Amino acid sequence: MDDEHELRLAQSFADILDGRARGEDSPELVGELAVLAEIDRALDPAHLPERLSGHKIVAEIGSGGMGRVLLAIDEALDRKVAIKTLAPRYADIPAVQARFMGEARAMARLSHPNIVRIYNLGPAEETPHFVMEFVEGAPLTKAAAPLTFEQKAELMNKVAAAVGFLHQGGMLHRDLKPANILVGADLEPKILDFGLALDLGMHERLSRIGEIAGTPEYLSPEQARGAERLDARSDVFSLGAVLYELLAGEPPFRGETTVELLRSIREQEPALPRRQNPLIPKGLQDICLKALEKDPAHRYGSAREMADDLRRFLAGEAVLAEPAAYTRLIADKVGDHLRDLESWRRDQVVSDTEYEGIRKRYEHLLEREDAWIMEARRLTLPQVSLYLGAWILAVGVALLTFFRYRAMAGAPAVLVAWAAAAPMAWIGIRTWKGGYHRVAIAYLLAFCVVVPVSMLVTLEEAGFFHSLTHANANLELFHRLGVDKQATNAQLWWALLAGLPVCWWLRRFTRAPVFSLMFSSVAALLCLTTLLRMGLIDWLDNDPGRFYFRLLPCAALFMAAGFGLERLGRPDDSRYFYPFAVAFTWAALSGVATFHEPYAKWLQATAPWTRGQIEYLFIVNAAIYSVLDRICEQLASAQVHMVGRAFRFVIPGHVMTSLFLLGLNANSRIEQRVFEWLLPAVACVFVFASIPHQMKNFFASGLLFFAIGVFRLQQNVFPDRAGWPVFLLGCGLALMVAAANYAPLKVSLAGMLKRMSR
Amino acid sequence: MEAKTSTFTLLEKAKAGDEQALSLVFEQYRRRLSVLVHFKLSPRSRELSEVDDVVQETYLRAFRDVDRFTYQTPGSFLRWLSSIADHVIVDQVRYRNRDRRAGEEVPFRSQSNPLGPEPVDTRTPSRLLGQQEAVERLLERLNGLPEDYRQAILLAKIQGLSTAEMAECLGKSREQVALLVYRAVKRFRSLCDRGEA
Repeated sequence: MDDEHELRLAQSFADILDGRARGEDSPELVGELAVLAEIDRALDPAHLPERLSGHKIVAEIGSGGMGRVLLAIDEALDRKVAIKTLAPRYADIPAVQARFMGEARAMARLSHPNIVRIYNLGPAEETPHFVMEFVEGAPLTKAAAPLTFEQKAELMNKVAAAVGFLHQGGMLHRDLKPANILVGADLEPKILDFGLALDLGMHERLSRIGEIAGTPEYLSPEQARGAERLDARSDVFSLGAVLYELLAGEPPFRGETTVELLRSIREQEPALPRRQNPLIPKGLQDICLKALEKDPAHRYGSAREMADDLRRFLAGEAVLAEPAAYTRLIADKVGDHLRDLESWRRDQVVSDTEYEGIRKRYEHLLEREDAWIMEARRLTLPQVSLYLGAWILAVGVALLTFFRYRAMAGAPAVLVAWAAAAPMAWIGIRTWKGGYHRVAIAYLLAFCVVVPVSMLVTLEEAGFFHSLTHANANLELFHRLGVDKQATNAQLWWALLAGLPVCWWLRRFTRAPVFSLMFSSVAALLCLTTLLRMGLIDWLDNDPGRFYFRLLPCAALFMAAGFGLERLGRPDDSRYFYPFAVAFTWAALSGVATFHEPYAKWLQATAPWTRGQIEYLFIVNAAIYSVLDRICEQLASAQVHMVGRAFRFVIPGHVMTSLFLLGLNANSRIEQRVFEWLLPAVACVFVFASIPHQMKNFFASGLLFFAIGVFRLQQNVFPDRAGWPVFLLGCGLALMVAAANYAPLKVSLAGMLKRMSR
Repeated sequence: MEAKTSTFTLLEKAKAGDEQALSLVFEQYRRRLSVLVHFKLSPRSRELSEVDDVVQETYLRAFRDVDRFTYQTPGSFLRWLSSIADHVIVDQVRYRNRDRRAGEEVPFRSQSNPLGPEPVDTRTPSRLLGQQEAVERLLERLNGLPEDYRQAILLAKIQGLSTAEMAECLGKSREQVALLVYRAVKRFRSLCDRGEA
């Protein structure tokens, strides 16, 4: 454009501004005039209606894309009210108008001290509007600026609880930001303006996003993506953003333009609040970052949970929030370290054991557990009381299976038992869905325990499965216990069987591994009850060895179950089967060695010099453990390796205790001498055998039995010989000196051997 | 820019003692005055004295001195308010750390002072600005302009001076002023378009 043309345009523009010409004559200036008109619209008080819903309109308090908020006087009650109107361009769209009024109706049903009250809806003949409480106060961030962190947390706790209340009423706020949370002089926050960021449909929503949300700094990533379906956790994110600003003094995400800001909300990690101000309490930072997780699944499940955590902070308790942000923050760094470490191991800068140890610790650092699991493990007064309550209830129900009550015989007992079980399930499932996982687990666990018991009461009263084991009352567990009611072993078995699907289903429903533990425990009891039905009591009376022998298949069963589950990619389930497998194996092998006659006979036949003595049997058991350990080592599974380690763990105790006892009960002098010398020697072997697998118990028990052996030698072999202690002193000193000069000694020994061989 | 009841009539009523009328006039100009004050304050002093305080104090002094004001052109009332605001800002800088002298202060109406003016509103002007998304956007865009362009728009559009008045005020020819205003508005428009996109 040449200068002259520009000058001419400028001239006519000035004329229009001065009111000497009209805009229609200069089509080139239409755009410029339009933006100027927009300035006028923004700055000049718009035309206000005289009255709405009969209230006298005084002024405009606020305006946004969706409409305006007017201040009015309710003359009948002589109070100020706020009236929200829908912008004319939406008032003509029936669907939007219906949503607007619908939201107002829903809001009107809620009554909460921290949520603005709706007084009435505008009549149909007036422009769409509704009348609400006029809140005098300052926006949250401004009001909270001079407050302490505790007071800020107190405010946020109220806000989050109110938003939680809103969610319970089935509504989302969708536009939580400091300007929408006013704080009065009494420090009571009031949430307003909710439900106004209506879903206008995708296309319009995105094009008008600046208009709808005003400042989009507090939108959630899913809102920033334009997701159609939002849930309560979107509001949780906005609460997190507001809390962040309260703490750090500025919103968590920034951007030069709206597009940039939205990208930053979707993709960037907020800076740690404590970086901005180191005085911010760690607990509040945790809560804030957890609410600001990009993935809704990592945030608080509900605003109520966030409020609870804030309440915990205020009560001086540890908060549950463990923001994944920390993990991500360190994950990168740890990744680098691990790569370094790997190369150090290749170059043998660190040993394999060191490498494993450090790697495990790093991985532990990266493991993230759900907050409720952490909380469920923590012993606090409410937690302990919760489980004590569950236990009292279970014990109470268990009484019904053992005792007969005149006032409650037959059906009433069954009814009472199930009346204990059913609410546990109902409350448990409801609280779980409400997001109170920690509490729900206690109820569901109680349910899990009570179901088999109630089932047993039912079977007892109904008389199902009443046939006796081998038709002999003496073989019945309850008969032996001598209690009032005598459930048969068969009834017990079926009752336990009924518990299994319950545990399985709860495991699936909650994904909590504790129900896998319950499942394997009930399965173990079922195994024992199966043995009961096969005549366990008879065996215990007459030949306990047979019982222990039959525990071996149970052990194998659990081992197979654990291994199978692990292979199916469910290590969280399998880990609860292996301990039972190990315990069954230990019990079975020890019991068989102690009581099982055929075992002793077999040993006597194979090695007559042992005379089938029990101590030798334990040494054989140790050998079996060692073989089992070798087998476990061959399988590529960390959990099976732990099982092997458990087997290996008992070997030194078995071997050295047996040697010690053999020495005590020796038949001949020679035999006694052999074992007395063997014990310290074997102890030394175990001490050194601790090296390859880093078995600390090998080392410790080796040292202990060495000392015992030395004492035995002094007593029996060298009575009153002062040379023995002096010899030991010399030996110990020599070994220490040798160990301190291990390397030169080794080199000179090697040289000596070389010379000798020459 | 002139509202349905003209500034002139309202001011005449105000001089005759109708406080309500003065409040109405003030209501009409408050946002413009707030935007002007916003840019009169440097970013540093904006932290120290709030736009609200300056506007409120300006209103109080205008209430006190309204008799001295003579209506000349439609823009003269805002220009008068603007000059009062300049004095208020200078005074606030001068007395920032001292107590304001009691005599200078016009107390709001209360039980002990039934003749004092009504506070403009319990809502402070900057909160008003904060609630107005359109105004917020406007401030942001004006902020993005070079200083001389911003001044041109503030004078021509917000304060409502004619180009002749601006020429006198800036010591330039009317042609120069016209060109400045035209270029400023063009730049402003491009900012608006970018914001929309």
